[in-house]
Amino acid sequence: MKILSLIAGVLMGAALIYGSLDMPKWGDPHSPASTHVSPYYLQHSIEHAATPNVVTTVLADYRGYDTLGETTVVFTAGMACLLLLGKRRKRQGK
Amino acid sequence: MFEFIVSYYNYWMYIGLMMIGFYAMMAKRNLVKKIIGMNIFQSAIIFFYISTSVKKGATVPILENAHGHATHGIEHGANAINVMQYANPLPHVLMLTAIVVMVATLGVALAVVILIYRRYGTLEEDEIMKLVRRG
Repeated sequence: MKILSLIAGVLMGAALIYGSLDMPKWGDPHSPASTHVSPYYLQHSIEHAATPNVVTTVLADYRGYDTLGETTVVFTAGMACLLLLGKRRKRQGK
Repeated sequence: MFEFIVSYYNYWMYIGLMMIGFYAMMAKRNLVKKIIGMNIFQSAIIFFYISTSVKKGATVPILENAHGHATHGIEHGANAINVMQYANPLPHVLMLTAIVVMVATLGVALAVVILIYRRYGTLEEDEIMKLVRRG
């Protein structure tokens, strides 16, 4: 089983390294990730939201509903932990 | 050759880290070690995304001179923002979301592991499977 997992890991790593050769170079300012939509946020965040920190602007202003959903995720995880661990304790009490 | 390695070694580091996590998830029998492997895997993906936001010679995406009177200058284009001066902010934001999901999964997984330990008294996968088969 361990040998099989090792072979699977090495094969997948080799495939990923082969794929990484088509990625943009490290620190390339003209990579696709930083040319299409991200300059818009950098240029307009100060007039839209009056906040110098662009990460804060995108997180709390442009993607405000996404952050609201994120708090729902944390709340659901907390409730799941409470339900999983709290129920057991009650049964032990009986 | 040296430039080739410098351009891509960050991806190779993350792939190595990711495969360490992948191997731990598959081959380790202890459930807590599996969860540690899952965390290493997720951290590798987060590092990968953060590395795509790097621009050579750029600083953190906090605008300079954005407070007070200079703000008017930026708004009216007299003091235009140089995009190449700041790192790409979008991967940072998306990875904040991913970190939240990572913490949530870690918490629920550890809660389930605590329940398994209380029920079976062990965290080794093969021993748990033996106990399950026995009924």
